Amino acid sequence: MQEKVEAQNILSMNSIEVLYDNVLLAIKGVSVQVPKGEMIALLGSNGAGKSTTLKAISGLLKAERGRISRGEIKFEGTDITEMLAQKRVEMGICHVIEGRRVFEHLTPDENLTAAAPMGMSKATLNAEKEKIYSFFPRLAERKNSQAGYLSGGEQQMLAIGRALVTQPSLLMLDEPSLGLAPFLVEEIFGIIKQINQEQGLSVLLVEQNALAALEIVSEGYLIENGRVVMHGAADALKANSDIQEFYLGGGEGTNFHEVKHYSRRKRWLS
Amino acid sequence: MFYRLSGVHHANYVSDSRIFKVPADRNLAAFMFLIGIAAPFIIPSLYLNSYMLPWLIWTSAALGLNLVTGWAGQLHLGYAAVMAVGAYSSIHAARFGVPWEFALLVGGLTSSVIGSLFAFAALRVKGLYLALTTLAMQFAMDWVLTHSPAISGGSHASLQSPTLALLGQEITTDTGFYYVAFGWCVLVTIFMLNLKRTGLGRALVAVREKDFAAAILGVNSFYYKILAFATSSFIAGVSGALLVATFFFLAAPEQFSVAVSIQVLAMVIVGGLGSIIGSYLGVALILLVPGIVNGFVVSLSDWLGMQINVETLAHIPNAVYGALIVIILLIEPLGLGKLYGNIRDYLMVWPFDQFKK
Amino acid sequence: MDWVFLSELAINGVLTGLLYSLFAIGLVLIYKASSVPNLAQGGLTMVGAYVVLALSHDAGLPLWLAIPLAALIMFGLGFGIERVALRRLAGRPVVMILMLTLGLDIFLRGTTLAIWGGTSRSMELGVSYDPLFLGDIFISRIHLVGAGVALALFVAFMLFFRTRTGIKLRAIADDYMASWSVGISVERGVGLSWALASVVAVAAGVIWGEIQGVDQALSLLLLKGLTVAVLGGLDSILGAVIAGIILGVVENVGADFLDPLVGGGSRELIVAAVLILTVMIRPHGLFGRHDIERV
Repeated sequence: MQEKVEAQNILSMNSIEVLYDNVLLAIKGVSVQVPKGEMIALLGSNGAGKSTTLKAISGLLKAERGRISRGEIKFEGTDITEMLAQKRVEMGICHVIEGRRVFEHLTPDENLTAAAPMGMSKATLNAEKEKIYSFFPRLAERKNSQAGYLSGGEQQMLAIGRALVTQPSLLMLDEPSLGLAPFLVEEIFGIIKQINQEQGLSVLLVEQNALAALEIVSEGYLIENGRVVMHGAADALKANSDIQEFYLGGGEGTNFHEVKHYSRRKRWLS
Repeated sequence: MFYRLSGVHHANYVSDSRIFKVPADRNLAAFMFLIGIAAPFIIPSLYLNSYMLPWLIWTSAALGLNLVTGWAGQLHLGYAAVMAVGAYSSIHAARFGVPWEFALLVGGLTSSVIGSLFAFAALRVKGLYLALTTLAMQFAMDWVLTHSPAISGGSHASLQSPTLALLGQEITTDTGFYYVAFGWCVLVTIFMLNLKRTGLGRALVAVREKDFAAAILGVNSFYYKILAFATSSFIAGVSGALLVATFFFLAAPEQFSVAVSIQVLAMVIVGGLGSIIGSYLGVALILLVPGIVNGFVVSLSDWLGMQINVETLAHIPNAVYGALIVIILLIEPLGLGKLYGNIRDYLMVWPFDQFKK
Repeated sequence: MDWVFLSELAINGVLTGLLYSLFAIGLVLIYKASSVPNLAQGGLTMVGAYVVLALSHDAGLPLWLAIPLAALIMFGLGFGIERVALRRLAGRPVVMILMLTLGLDIFLRGTTLAIWGGTSRSMELGVSYDPLFLGDIFISRIHLVGAGVALALFVAFMLFFRTRTGIKLRAIADDYMASWSVGISVERGVGLSWALASVVAVAAGVIWGEIQGVDQALSLLLLKGLTVAVLGGLDSILGAVIAGIILGVVENVGADFLDPLVGGGSRELIVAAVLILTVMIRPHGLFGRHDIERV
């Protein structure tokens, strides 16, 4: 029975603990399962440990002097807890890091080339690029200008496109909506959903914009202070009164004078 | 062990701003001071003169560079040129008949003025570009030195230093030279120890960490950068003058070349940026170890009955010196001072730290 | 004003300048891929020249074999330096990285001289010492050959930075973290840049060794190379070539005017002045990248 569940999950992360600089415990036993072909969201406020969770999965912790001190991460049944970041990308995990970090001094086209695996043939690369340009027509228009001068939305599209060139089977997005206009967020989320459905790509999405995220994912995890405090189907989360109050903005007109606000917030954390 | 403390606990501000936060550090410093005073009676004159004396003077110089690089965070690759300014102006002043006490002061102040020129570069650029500018300034000053016979002392490009005399006392013995160097080093060390307790020291650290953030807090980074360069140049100037007056006796431009600038910076970085005991250790390592290794190689080759090429022997110290810099940086980028701190912190809680694991 | 003499100074300045570029390209390669200023390039150049000598004169190989072989050895050495030393200090403050490369420079110089001795040796490339005449103008053949090598390397690297590997190197220079996130091996990329810079050092070492003899003085090219690299913009290969030409001409013509005034030896002064002025006026050089700031 256990084996069968494992097989359905492209990624399973079991009670992971991450230490920065050997002292700072950033996440304390987080377990996250991503079923194959599904979209999952990690929600939570600033500093809750969402980005750290993604970095633990993609292996980028090392660059920030962090390490996994406990737990294991399995990707398609293989233990990747100690694997190099580069190997993980080869296996099919790609992480779009926070803050639209495109290669600023390269053109968008070169950005895509830079991400291509060394072994990828020129024809495949061109086909990949065509596919990405068809998802993001705006990028095709500006493919030979300098990436640093693209608009925020275009840079985010480029960052996602660049990740797709590595031909991932699990795409992890860290706050793709950060600092973007709502209509752009909608456009980008729409495209992500489309890629998810057309290509069967599994997506792990980290968002502060819970409202937008819960619209497109099937399940969500809520992380607070380095722990998972809630996990459920997107609809169930949307209906949850705490989530509504703290992440979706108010809900059904709660009168804040009458609610013992702080004691309720504390309830998850003990 | 010697430290007999289970961590450092401060209950009030006065105890937190003590010079030595750990009693054992104070005891160690007092012990070293006593050894320093007694050195001429314990250590044979040859070692005193060829190891202890340069060690102390270079340590004073390194502490001065540490002020500007370690505390204020400004890279400086032209420090030897500033030392040269001090050395030459002191000696010229002394030859002119100015008493040595004032001649040293003249040297220090001239260095301060010239050294502050470097600060103007620091106001515009930092990091790598500052390093390159100061390097270029060092080359320019070297050039001026070698191309002006009036400064460097005529066609032989060497300048005899007059006999050192302080407080009406002519100093001619090795012991005398040693005490002069020791006194200067103690002065600089006390100044540096107290620096971190003063507003100046805190302002410098603020400028180092983020100059514009310091500016927002009301620290005038312009003023403090110039002050840092001027103070460190003063120390450099006097150290340079003493180096010639008590060690070389003859000033020549090569004594203050680019290689020397790099050497002082190496002493500071290998010792640890911002660490005082580190500067002592760094200078000892860079100054003494290459010679020791060379001596070891010679005796090893004698023992093995091998004949080592003279040229090879001449260049081994250099190779060792370069390797030392690389190795220390790879082992502990924060330098020997940090290593000392690590060992001290370990011993401070020894053996109880075992329970942590 | 003697125009023939002046143009001779200028043309020879251009050629000498291209030889400075030859040296500076090595610096630029490493800076471009890792933002590390390699102050050990002088030491590497010296090692390169000595390895060629060891293979050709000491081991008796013909030069056409010795030079590529030396390039191969240096390629490995460059990789090794990154693997052993630079990698462990990645992300540390620039002071420490500068000091590390300075330490490497001292170590490489000391070791080379300890092995091969300090007496100046000659490279004996077999290029004739008879000057070429272009009208009334003297041109040294070896300078011409060296300038050709510099231009060839320039073209080769311009093309290289358009290949997939080259683009990856540029990506690494832009953003380490983002490079890791898409599976680029940053370590290998930086290692490759060191390896290529060491190969450039062989070229510079051979040409400069032929011109001024193979000895410790080769490492003194560092100041001129740095000046060229900074003037051109530390990450621009085109900049290194153009700045090399500018420095060569300024130095040659300027020294001709200044030398009688100050009694000779004004070249170093001019180079130092160019470096100081560049940093003060335009730190990113002629063609260096400004960091793009977007709000």
